[in-house]
Amino acid sequence: MEIRFEKVNFNYKGLSETTHALKEVSLTINATNEFIAVVGQTGSGKSTLVQLMNGLLIPNSGTVDVFGFMLPPKRRQKINQLRQEVGLVFQFPEYQLFEETVLKDIMFGPKNFKKTAKDAEKRALEAAKMVGLSDEILQSSPFKISGGQMRRAAIAGILAMDPKVLVLDEPTRGLDPQGRNDMMELFKEIHETTNKTIILITHDMDLVSEYAKRVIVLKDGKVAFDGKKEDLFEDPNFDEYHLSLPTSLKILKELEKEAGIKYVPQYTYHDLVNYLKGVKK
Amino acid sequence: MNNIVIGQYIPRDSWLHRLDPRYKIMGLLFLLVTLFVIPIRTEWPYLATLGFLTVLIFLLIITSKVPIMKVIRGFKPVMFLLTFTFIIQIFYYNVDPTKANLLTTIPFYFTWASLGAIILILLIYLFTKKFIKLGFLYFLIVVFGIFAVQHFMPSTWGFIVEYKADLYDVALIRSGFLILRILNVIMLTSLLTLTTMTTDLNHGIESLLRPFKIIKFPVDTLAMMLSLTLRYIPTLLEETNKIMKAQASRGVDFKEGKLKDKIGQMISLLVPIFIISFKRAEDLSNAMESRGYVIGAKRTKIDTFKTTFSDVFSLVVAILIFGLVLASRFVIPIWL
Repeated sequence: MEIRFEKVNFNYKGLSETTHALKEVSLTINATNEFIAVVGQTGSGKSTLVQLMNGLLIPNSGTVDVFGFMLPPKRRQKINQLRQEVGLVFQFPEYQLFEETVLKDIMFGPKNFKKTAKDAEKRALEAAKMVGLSDEILQSSPFKISGGQMRRAAIAGILAMDPKVLVLDEPTRGLDPQGRNDMMELFKEIHETTNKTIILITHDMDLVSEYAKRVIVLKDGKVAFDGKKEDLFEDPNFDEYHLSLPTSLKILKELEKEAGIKYVPQYTYHDLVNYLKGVKK
Repeated sequence: MNNIVIGQYIPRDSWLHRLDPRYKIMGLLFLLVTLFVIPIRTEWPYLATLGFLTVLIFLLIITSKVPIMKVIRGFKPVMFLLTFTFIIQIFYYNVDPTKANLLTTIPFYFTWASLGAIILILLIYLFTKKFIKLGFLYFLIVVFGIFAVQHFMPSTWGFIVEYKADLYDVALIRSGFLILRILNVIMLTSLLTLTTMTTDLNHGIESLLRPFKIIKFPVDTLAMMLSLTLRYIPTLLEETNKIMKAQASRGVDFKEGKLKDKIGQMISLLVPIFIISFKRAEDLSNAMESRGYVIGAKRTKIDTFKTTFSDVFSLVVAILIFGLVLASRFVIPIWL
């Protein structure tokens, strides 16, 4: 059970020119126990990559194998079913809300996949509980709640479909620091309780160092790096990826230079604090 | 999403592109009116006039350096209607039999056998149309096939009724005339949008409407509305595309599905688009106001038009053609 890209090429055709968004991309993603961050500069093909995973885009050449479902699809095979397996949350997902109540909106996904109203409601309530939406909010209009709650509702709408893999395209964009942390803790919790693979597109290296286990770096449509985050930050070619180091590593490097504290990579805020406390003693 | 021809400017270096939009619009209007001034008659001078205008329009297209396929692609949305009109016109136009030649009479036999065959054809069509790429052509072949079946199948197999279709030369020419005229109109109008940037077009319209200011017609507001509308078409298309993808991720199948499901799907698309449009409109009005925009205030333009000899010359030619065709309307009947 895995998502496998094999020599995938994808082009966007414009009026006069074609943009090669992905070039010869090959990678494998397991359905469980992975927390992957996809990073890269704007226009490096991150969004294209994740849209290929649930058949919103079809590769121009090469194949994508999503849990045994081949893209480009064979004749008569319906792509729609695939969308349930790979739950994709877009940038600013709050714009996709449209129903009268938040609950109805969360039920929209399961209903589309031929679940009965009762079953859909059960799943919706579970998903709402997971993202922390109260009953009161569930009964109010999705246009009368706050931005953070709207985003939670939209994510619940995807979770209610019970996808095998959750793909998030910059889920923390436009949120305040508190909202950002809450959102990330939510994904971490989902990952830990259900063991589902989470794929996260982000520009924020702090999130990568804190949460991700594996990092895929895209550069000009090619996979420039694919491996553990620990390896990424120590990669000799790191500068070529046009990424910045996470704050914790920057601090540690600075401290080594200025105060002579030994550089031992710490990836989360808590680890960093604990490490520095240990040094002090 | 990329096959919308209206508003797709194709940058080229041609005299038509360089023409002052005001003169271009006026010239085009004159040519359009000219097309409708020619009476629908089957005598040869009228046909020659239409033929002359068709050649002229083709010359315009060729000299504008716009790919001719781009212009012809503009026919696509009206193709169905045109074919329908053509067939109806041929068979239902009341011809004066004394003045027309009967080319042929085609008998059709509606029988139980042909009824079965028609149902069979329709069923095959329903099940196979998904796999055929040239959908419209396929549809035409099916329509043709339905009539061919009634014509060629023996009349003795469960005979119900016989009907005849008379094909007169006059009716044929008349229908051809009508269709050619409509095609010309489409070519002319898409030529304007293909060779003129929407901003120029807007300036041209605004400038031409200026005289209506005397009767308190809000020309500035209209022009601003027009330019904003044009400006936001691609943006809204992009947003629509995004929302479509987002809803597709939630299992909405925009391509297939029953009518009942389709309505729900449309709502899931329309509500977010409305909300985004309102939000954008509000942001835009705030941005305009913060930069000092006041409705009806006097303002200057960054681009001003300069009339050149070729502008005036093209307009004069267009008016001349219009005048000649208008005059011929009165001269030809006397002469014939």
